[in-house]
Formats: sequence, structure tokens, C-alpha cells
Amino acid sequence: MRLIGIFSIVTLAALALQTTLPHLLPVGMLMPDLALVLTVDLGLRHHGAAAALMAFGIGYATDAFSGSQLGLNALLFVLVFILSYWLSRGFFSMGSGLGIAAVFGAVMLCDYGNYLAGAGWAGDSSGLLLPTTLLQASITALCAPAVFALMSALTRAAGLRERTSRS
Amino acid sequence: MRSSFLWRNRVLLLSGGLLILALHLLTSGLRPDARATRPATALLEVLRPFQVFEAGFGDEANGFIHDYLELVGTRKENDRLKAQLAALEGQQTRLVELENENRRLSDLLELRDALQMKAVAANVIGNDAIGVSQTMILAEGSRIGLRRDFAVISKDGVVGKLIAVAPDVSRVLLIDDHNSALDAFDQRSRARGIVAGVLDGGVTMKYVDRSQDIKTGDAIVTSGMDGIFPRGLLVGTVTAVSQEGPGLFLNIGVQPAADFRKLEQVLVLTQKPPELTVADPG
Repeated sequence: MRLIGIFSIVTLAALALQTTLPHLLPVGMLMPDLALVLTVDLGLRHHGAAAALMAFGIGYATDAFSGSQLGLNALLFVLVFILSYWLSRGFFSMGSGLGIAAVFGAVMLCDYGNYLAGAGWAGDSSGLLLPTTLLQASITALCAPAVFALMSALTRAAGLRERTSRS
Repeated sequence: MRSSFLWRNRVLLLSGGLLILALHLLTSGLRPDARATRPATALLEVLRPFQVFEAGFGDEANGFIHDYLELVGTRKENDRLKAQLAALEGQQTRLVELENENRRLSDLLELRDALQMKAVAANVIGNDAIGVSQTMILAEGSRIGLRRDFAVISKDGVVGKLIAVAPDVSRVLLIDDHNSALDAFDQRSRARGIVAGVLDGGVTMKYVDRSQDIKTGDAIVTSGMDGIFPRGLLVGTVTAVSQEGPGLFLNIGVQPAADFRKLEQVLVLTQKPPELTVADPG
């Protein structure tokens, strides 16, 4: 419950930032997808049923503020959680490099998933997505270590255990 | 218990179940009032106060940063005078801002009167959370009578339609979103097509036969055939026409009339347009 509580509050704060900053500043797709970083963090460091439920919750909450298809981000975020979970189980130690790579891949997966679910694979249009997706993935990946550190501090402060190596 | 297959793989099994649940949500074509959409609507409400606060705070912060930069490097004896000047400039900025807001609202009122339809003005308080989709968040909702699929317009042209409505907040699917489609026609040649968003933030007009006469600079207006937008609203202007590639249709680029990133107030039409038959627009 503590895990869900902490992640719920941080998710709402992240979504508030993600929905208002692009309106205040001309950042557009340069806005890091903080909610997705939280999902990767869950997959890499929290290996319980609550983490899987929370990943679904973050995706569903993102659906409330993005796109027009309820359930799409919930689906993509659970996929990201599973992939991050598998990734972390395959590595003995988790440096920040693994987290950054996971976040980068997660943004690419979600952006393309969001586009393809709506528009299908139209060769010329999907090519337009690559530069902006790469840029957003890079910016989100750069922000990831700070988010991981914040969540690590919050979970430790709440007395929760997080996975730091393969067990 | 803890060594059983189910317990060891509980995370993956639960994740699999959640994937199926998400797929069900995605593919079941939920009605707007379906039970599964209620938490999403409630979430919109939860963040509304923060979005309203941040939308207002942004203007103040911009003014503050501007004033601060103006004062850096001045001599000490001029500080008081400069501060006074900055305060006066701040006041003037606020006055100009109020005047601009007044003008925008007046424009919207004029537009509403011209359309002779029921409509309400709404403030824009947020944008899409991810950026691949093009949506915006309005500070009004069902409490003042807004409903899903209501048309959203600005003084410059068509903006989009409502896709989610909570009591005090709602979301708009912009016409440059790749999931958006609206029936429109070329005002000069009367050629009809479907205006849809493309990924680079622009808009295209689809399904216009190659034999049709479309030229750069033509105005594209709503046909009124989709039952959402009244007929004759400006959607944008044609920026490019080509016949490249295989297919039966023209490739038409359209520049939307409204600048969605600069919108602060919009008009939501709370009345459905009169029904048209196919023969009407031509």
C-alpha cells in the first residue's frame, strides 16, 4: 500500500507537470515522459504484485490525459513494466546505464505504439515520428536518473525494500 | 506455498491479466458513460486545480523573470526608480493582458452571435500528457452543459471536438491529431474530403479525387455533414497540392486556421448543428 501511495502521488505530480508545462513553454514533444520513467522504475526495482498493479494504474492515468483511446497507454505501460522486470532479472547489478537504456526504449515503444494504434503503419508519416521520438526518448532518458534517485529516496524513507541485484 | 509455480510467477501472471484487461478496455469501444471511463474522468477533475493554478502561475512567472532580467546590472541608486518603473510596467503588462483577454472574449462573443448557436467560452488549462497525440484540456465541463462530441472553435477557425468531459474539466481532440477526421470542402471548387491530422503537427485533406480542382491558397471549410461542426467554419488553407505516388487521390496539405499552441480561450458549441443532406454542400 505504501508503494502504491507514493507512486500515486508522484504520478499525479508528473502528469500535472506534463500537461501544463507544454502549455506554458514551447516544449511540445520535448517534455520528458515522467510517468513512463516511474513505470520503468517499478519494473526495475519493485518486483511485487503491487508494482504490476501500479504500472497499470499509471498507464490508465496517462490515458485520462493523453490521446483518445482509453486503455492504450495502460496496455503499453504494463508491457514496459514486464520488459523492465525481465531486463532487471537478467542483470546482476543495475547501474544507471541500464535504467537510462530501459527508459529510452520505453519511450520509443510507447510513442510508436500510440501512433500505430491510431494511424496504422503509413510509411511516409511514421518516418516523421522518428526524429521527434528520438529527441523525446533522449530527453526522458536524461531525466531518468534524477527520477530514479527521487523514487529511491522516497521508497527508502517509507521503509520499503527495493531490488538492487538479481535475487 | 511460496515455492509453488503460481507464487513464483505471480508478477508475470498478474501482468498478463492486466494486459488482457487493458486490451479489453482498448478494444471494447467504451461508451462515454461506461463504468470503466469514470475513474479517468475523476482523474481529470483531480488535477484540474493544479492545472488552473499552474496556467495562472505561468503568466506571473514570465513577468517576474522579465522584470528581474531588466534590473540585473543597474546601479544601486537607480534601483528604487527602476523598481517603480518595473512595477508600472508590470501593471501595464497586466492591463495589456486584460485588454487582450477582453478582446479575445469579445471576438468569441461576436463569433457566437454570428453563428446564431448556443455556445460557452472556456479557458485552456493544459495540453496532452505525452505529445504524440494532440489534445488540450479546458477548465469547463458537464456542470455548464458540455458533452462529448461538442465542437470546439476559436475566432480563427475550427479547433477540435470534446472527447472526455468531467464536471469541471474536459479534453479536446485537436484537428491535427492523427485520430481526428472531419468532413470539409474546398470553398472555391466545392470539392469534398476528410481533413485529418498528420504527425508533424500539420493537417491533410484526404480522399479528394485527382480530377478535382484544388489550388494552393484555397480555403477549406466544414461541410456540416459530420453532425458535429456547423457548415462553413474555416478549417484552414491549402498549402500544397500534389499527385505524387500511386493512388486515386490528391495529396493536399492544409495549414490550420487556428494556432492551437497559442489558444487561451475557445468557444464550445453546446448545440448540435442542423442536419444536412449530401446534396447541400455541393
